[in-house]
Amino acid sequence: MTAITPTTLSATSLSPRTRAVTEFVLDNLVWFILATVLTVFSLTIPQFFQIGIFSNIIEQSAVLGVMSIGLSLLIIAGHLDLSVESVAALSAMVVAMLFANSGAGLKYVLTPEWLVFPVSLAIALAVGAVIGATNAFFVVRLKMNAFIVTLASFIWVRGLVQKLPDGRSAQGLPDALRFLAIERYNVLYIPLIAWIAILCFVVFAFILKRTPFGRHLTLIGGNKIASFRAGIATDRIITVSFILAGAIAGLAGWLLAIRTSGATANLGTGMLFQAFAAVVIGGVSLQGGVGRLSGVFAGVLLLSSIHTAINLMSLPASYTQIILGLLVLAAVLLDTLKLSIRQRLT
Amino acid sequence: MTEAGQPLLELKDITRRFGAIEALRGVSFSVRRGEVVALLGDNGAGKSTLVKIIAGGLEPSSGRMIFDGVERTFASPAAAKAAGIETVYQDLSLCTNVDVVANFFMGRELTKNVLGIRVLDEKAMEDICAKAIAAAGTRIPSLHVNVEHLSGGQRQAIELNRFVHFGGKLVLLDEPFAALGVEQTRRGLDMIKRVAAQGIGVIVITHVMAQAFQVADRIVVIRQGVVAGDIAGDKTTPEEVIRMITGDAQMGRQASA
Repeated sequence: MTAITPTTLSATSLSPRTRAVTEFVLDNLVWFILATVLTVFSLTIPQFFQIGIFSNIIEQSAVLGVMSIGLSLLIIAGHLDLSVESVAALSAMVVAMLFANSGAGLKYVLTPEWLVFPVSLAIALAVGAVIGATNAFFVVRLKMNAFIVTLASFIWVRGLVQKLPDGRSAQGLPDALRFLAIERYNVLYIPLIAWIAILCFVVFAFILKRTPFGRHLTLIGGNKIASFRAGIATDRIITVSFILAGAIAGLAGWLLAIRTSGATANLGTGMLFQAFAAVVIGGVSLQGGVGRLSGVFAGVLLLSSIHTAINLMSLPASYTQIILGLLVLAAVLLDTLKLSIRQRLT
Repeated sequence: MTEAGQPLLELKDITRRFGAIEALRGVSFSVRRGEVVALLGDNGAGKSTLVKIIAGGLEPSSGRMIFDGVERTFASPAAAKAAGIETVYQDLSLCTNVDVVANFFMGRELTKNVLGIRVLDEKAMEDICAKAIAAAGTRIPSLHVNVEHLSGGQRQAIELNRFVHFGGKLVLLDEPFAALGVEQTRRGLDMIKRVAAQGIGVIVITHVMAQAFQVADRIVVIRQGVVAGDIAGDKTTPEEVIRMITGDAQMGRQASA
């Protein structure tokens, strides 16, 4: 019975220093993998090692990264949101239809012109939050399965994206929005939309790690019954998480619209699976309760690094698909490995 | 404020039906401040249902519950907790994905104000947790280790230390020593006595007769949804209690009365 002799547990051959270092490496494993991959690419692929390429990788990560934040929050809370991709597309479409100047665009012009920035952002966030709230209603109030509820939203929201503009696209957003994606306004070689994504990661990593809300989210993902018994308002926290995930997807859609200067009916299709891949590669457990947003960010960067490398080598795009699949498998394997190493540590 | 003589918790004719099944058929008993009551009964006697009604989360079909001088029912564990009822459940109520400190303060995290934002006060929580766990003589290698890496005994120690620290007015323990070894059980029983000495009422659900007799001032036996026996611990014998649990109780009670 080791249960009654706790001292045996602290007896371990590892020095505290080795343990601390190992813990650190395990906690930030994706970043080490990213660094390795980037080094290998830089050494083996001609023209890879350039500021332009790196800033491109970061720029490509912006929209996917933001979308992955919302998804991560819900998965950490022990739920799921398959609708983030369609929600982003809907927000993008609504913004594009209101403010774009060709196609299905209605060319609304606000005075002064810069007002389009806060107004379109608020609309995108609101669209996402509303869909998130309907998801929350079905999951929390009607106690329906989150997988089914958000799968349904994934489908019907995409239908809405196609119906609203009658299959047309809306192109040409005003400069008051476009400047976020224009190279001329890059800060430290990084486009402004990527800075927005980075800011989101910092803010939500802080919320997850340092605030009672984030702590409760993690606790619920770990053991919902225990959290409920401990007096945590589990239903409220999950509702807020769904609304947040929706609003964050709305933000992703807003960035996507700005990046592509408009929206098409099939905008962003396939991003859901990439977001899932990034989240899993980033070390978030699909069982809930475990995950760090810094890892997710590294996961997103890893994905777009691989995309970029494949483009540079002019390999067929189908390779990306295959590599992505293998990467997800590897990530899950790695997770199991990490767990067994950790168990030996403590 | 209530008078000293008044019971802390009084259950009057509590019933609970699940469809056609009557889990509780009119349970009445009371707990005074500083009193340890052992609640015994066979599997399916209605103990767990009773625990849920007292701890919040399940409302009785009929009957009255008077806690601290006020008649009330608790819609959620949070409501019961706010009123001062702490519960340690049979299946451990810990989140194994976070560390010892986070579990200790689950649901009542300490915060500090940083630029108008409520931020977790990790330092303060760690200090309090370390003190509480050291005071109880529990050895845990690090407070920052995730609970999944701790043994069953260490986990239970966190739960027990949690209720000792936060106290409240009434503590409900549902099979608290299921995962504990001999030494830790002894320490757990001491903890119960210490908590009761502070004037907190304690209800211990157990089916280990020896534990009940060691710690309880009074023994209440539930059988088929009713109270089959309610007697001071020093005025009965394990044999008699077993007769109450199995149903030869009426006979046994009458014989001893």
